[in-house]
Amino acid sequence: MGSSAKRKKEKQKDFQKPKLKVGKAKAKPENYTDTSFRSKAIVLNQQSLHVAAPSSNSQFAHHISLLSSKSDNQRRDSLAHLTTSIASRPVNSSLPQPVSVMLPSLLPLILDGNSNVRIQLLKLLRTLPQNDVSDHVAQLLPYIRAGMTHLAADIRVSAVEILSWMVETAGEQVVSCAGGWIKTLNCFLSVLGWHTEESSRWSSSRASFGKSGSQGRSMVKVLGALADFLGAGIGQPGEADDELSGQAYFADSWSFPLCETGHHMISESSTPYAYLNLFGQPRDEEGEMYETREDRYRVFSSRFLPAIERGLKSAREEGGELGRASSGVTKVLKEAISYGPGP
Amino acid sequence: MVKRKLGALEKVEADLPNLQHKIRRDPKSYIEDFRAQHYQYESHREIFMAAPTAATDTGIISLRELIDFISHVADCYPDILKDFPQQLIDMLMQHHLVLEPELREKLVGSLVLLKKKDLLDSATLLHTLFPILITTPSKTLRALLFQKILSELRNANSKTTNHKLNRTMQTVLFNLVTSDRTSSKALWAIKLTRELWKRQIWTDAKAVEVMKEASLSENEKVIVGGVRFFLGGDKEREEAEDDSSDDEAIDVGRIKHQLGINKKTKKKARVAEKAMAMHKKKERKKNAPHPLNFSALHLLHDPQGFADSLFSRHLQSTKAKLNLENKLLVLQLVSRLVGLHKLHIMSLYSYFQKFLTPRQPSVTSFLASLAQASHDLVPPDVLEPLVQKIANEFVSEASAGEVATAGLNAIREICVRQPLAMNETLLQDLVMYKKSKDKGVMMASKGLLSLYRDVGASMLKKRDRGKEASMSLRAGEKLGKRFGEQEAGGIEGLELLEKWKEEERRKKRRETGLPSDGEDDDEEDEAENWANWNVEDDDDSDDSGDWVNVQSDVEIELSDSEDEGKAPPSKKAKQTEEEAKAEAEENDKADQDAFSKLATTKILTPADLAKLAELRAEAAVDAALPGSKSRRATQNTSRHTDDPLTAEEIEGLAALSAGKATREERIAHAREGKPDRSEHKSKEAKRKERKQEQGKSTTNKEKARRKNFLMTLGKARSKNKRSLVETRAVLKAHHDRQRRGGKRGNVGTSH
Repeated sequence: MGSSAKRKKEKQKDFQKPKLKVGKAKAKPENYTDTSFRSKAIVLNQQSLHVAAPSSNSQFAHHISLLSSKSDNQRRDSLAHLTTSIASRPVNSSLPQPVSVMLPSLLPLILDGNSNVRIQLLKLLRTLPQNDVSDHVAQLLPYIRAGMTHLAADIRVSAVEILSWMVETAGEQVVSCAGGWIKTLNCFLSVLGWHTEESSRWSSSRASFGKSGSQGRSMVKVLGALADFLGAGIGQPGEADDELSGQAYFADSWSFPLCETGHHMISESSTPYAYLNLFGQPRDEEGEMYETREDRYRVFSSRFLPAIERGLKSAREEGGELGRASSGVTKVLKEAISYGPGP
Repeated sequence: MVKRKLGALEKVEADLPNLQHKIRRDPKSYIEDFRAQHYQYESHREIFMAAPTAATDTGIISLRELIDFISHVADCYPDILKDFPQQLIDMLMQHHLVLEPELREKLVGSLVLLKKKDLLDSATLLHTLFPILITTPSKTLRALLFQKILSELRNANSKTTNHKLNRTMQTVLFNLVTSDRTSSKALWAIKLTRELWKRQIWTDAKAVEVMKEASLSENEKVIVGGVRFFLGGDKEREEAEDDSSDDEAIDVGRIKHQLGINKKTKKKARVAEKAMAMHKKKERKKNAPHPLNFSALHLLHDPQGFADSLFSRHLQSTKAKLNLENKLLVLQLVSRLVGLHKLHIMSLYSYFQKFLTPRQPSVTSFLASLAQASHDLVPPDVLEPLVQKIANEFVSEASAGEVATAGLNAIREICVRQPLAMNETLLQDLVMYKKSKDKGVMMASKGLLSLYRDVGASMLKKRDRGKEASMSLRAGEKLGKRFGEQEAGGIEGLELLEKWKEEERRKKRRETGLPSDGEDDDEEDEAENWANWNVEDDDDSDDSGDWVNVQSDVEIELSDSEDEGKAPPSKKAKQTEEEAKAEAEENDKADQDAFSKLATTKILTPADLAKLAELRAEAAVDAALPGSKSRRATQNTSRHTDDPLTAEEIEGLAALSAGKATREERIAHAREGKPDRSEHKSKEAKRKERKQEQGKSTTNKEKARRKNFLMTLGKARSKNKRSLVETRAVLKAHHDRQRRGGKRGNVGTSH
């Protein structure tokens, strides 16, 4: 009998309401910890105080470091800042930082999850000078290929956009750098789904995985990029001829007993002996460099021609915007075939 | 710009596990998606290989996830992924030093997964993982690799022993140990070998060879690892075996019982079936012939050479820098080898000389090693100075009880193995300590005395010899063994069989009415035996080549022997005392013949052998019973030659002679071996506690006792006012209720 009363009391104690009184401070909870402290002085060990505002150069470097920020908006804003500072620099002045410094932090953004970041990245890339880009194509391409085969359709599309920009600016380098021809074509086929006969037919119930996004429009873009790419790789070597003739002209400027001197001079490209692959991993067939149109055409006709023709046929049959886009590719292909393996 | 919820969107799109799940269900339809991911992987790999040190966190999908994904679906597209295992191997081998830990672990895990899917053979896997194990500075990676290698080896040997793989792996380990004797990398070889030895996966001489080389290395850690293996590896193996056989014993009866009671569901049936299958498997395992496992010490090819080089390298040479503890380990191993294989290392005994003083740290271990190293082929003049020194240094009236005990015990242990190491005056001196007031010393001295009553009674003073010994001395038989004398080998327990046969014969003669002590008719018996044998022989020849029938044959023999075995005890009861006495005399005579003629004059039939085994078991049980005469005698010899002699045994009953233990020590000693128990409590209190722990309530009685007083008042008051009739009714109802067994009644037993 005693115990029950006692227990009741104990129970009541647990659930007692604290009494609040008007005009008095609220009672502190039981587990309240007093964190205030007193000190005569507070010393901050590290602080960077400058009288002068940061220079534009240092700001530029800071924004480059911010590219790996966790926040999407921060990345986008930094990219925007970089873009404007590159675009608004005085004409013919060099970049605030060399491209080789910027690229390592820019490249992972090709695969960024946020579309705004990727759009902004493309804008930034477009502002880069053409010569600098053509030297770093080999670095850029693996990321672009990774983007083209990404699970997320949006990333695939923006990677294709970046690729078409690159073909535009440095087409020759894109198709001739190590792994640039076969691997990239493979990626195109995989994006379009043209690898096997079965999967390229329009009627086949293609179980496409992942969110397709705006499938039709992206296919059009991909086809456009493919046309550009093929044009750069195996198109009629018109411009190259010009270049050659220019070189011939250049060679002609030497006096008579010297002939074909241009070939014996040190090459003007940045990495003339890249094809020797002195310092890299050993390459397989796919990763090999195909520097001449002849090589590229040979590989293309043996490995990709049937698949692409098949795919183009089905795309044409599908009609509509897609069919129209496919006709561009068909045109390039016809020209290439008519030109044949080369002179 | 409208803010979108990107996190969720990304999750839906870049969901590799989802794709993996779909691919597993229908690989053909998703081949395009897989191809895309494979290109994705290739590009990421390219990026990675270009700069392995740089952070590989690219976007929302990392290389690690891609590798995981591809290795999980690798078996669906073997032709696309021909090079995949090799790529992973290259990545791991070339860059394991700079890889980020998570990716590194993923690579290892994926390789193991590919092995599981048979896309990689285990030799390649081991050749990949093992070099990394011994070179990597990362502790976590080492732990992971070790575990993977071990489980890989276990799996490869789970069904049948994979000799090829074992051989290559052992060769790799052997080379690792022998290639660089100063490096501590060999520790991995030791760890691996010891683990596999413990699990009985490696039980051959090659593994022992690896350990032998390890203990001859120049690195202290490696030496200790190897030596410890020889000293403790076999015990560890035995314990592991015991453990594995003990755990998860399934009570079949209980399962069946539960199956009968509980609700029958498919799941329960399945569980029960599984348990039964497991039980059956275990039974089969139990009945399977026990695999022959030799101890590591027996599998050594050249014990003499091994012990020699161990001793000269680690103990005798001045360059050896082992500390005392490790030196003792090596010494233990050397002395065990010497004792077990009866080796000769003469300088070993003089090496002991300088350590035999009471001031030497852990001197008991030295004493134990010395005793272990002595055997009956050691020249007595090598051991005698040592025994003398022990006696001088340890055993004196002035020395402490523990010291004298240790000395006496050590001397006894040496003399058990080589009785000739003792001279007469010393022995008589030492035996005098049996009168010591210190219990430990007294018992040790008595031990020595009883030993020499057995092996060299003539060295004792007359009054110490005891009755048996002096009688046998007078008869002139027990003279002690000479140096190098070997006991002629015999069949263990043969004399028991002979005795039994004699008894049988006598019984038979008594039945036929002849005098039981007659000496003839041996031939008759023998003929019978031969007949017995022949019958079996015929059986054999009839269905020669059929193994099953041979098996059944054995069974028949066994049943025969059982029948025979049952007969004698019933008869024994009838035997008169006289006969028993006569028999005892005859037994003595038989003993004097020492080596019985049975084995040399007759051929033992299988039935005989079965009987022999039975008699031997019986004798062993008898000897173990308290009060048996032979018990003490066996104590000296019962030790198996494989068992080590420990320092504790040398210390012996020193604990008894202390007498100065504090109260706490005594309490601790008393508590030793008893399971730890909590404070003392009444039975009732303990019961209550237990009930409360199980979440159970109090009993009705207790509830009644604790009931509120006011609640009981009314009833108590009304009880007083009951009429006689009411009281009777209540009592009657109570009585009936009791008979029924309470309010609820005993169902089924009510009538």
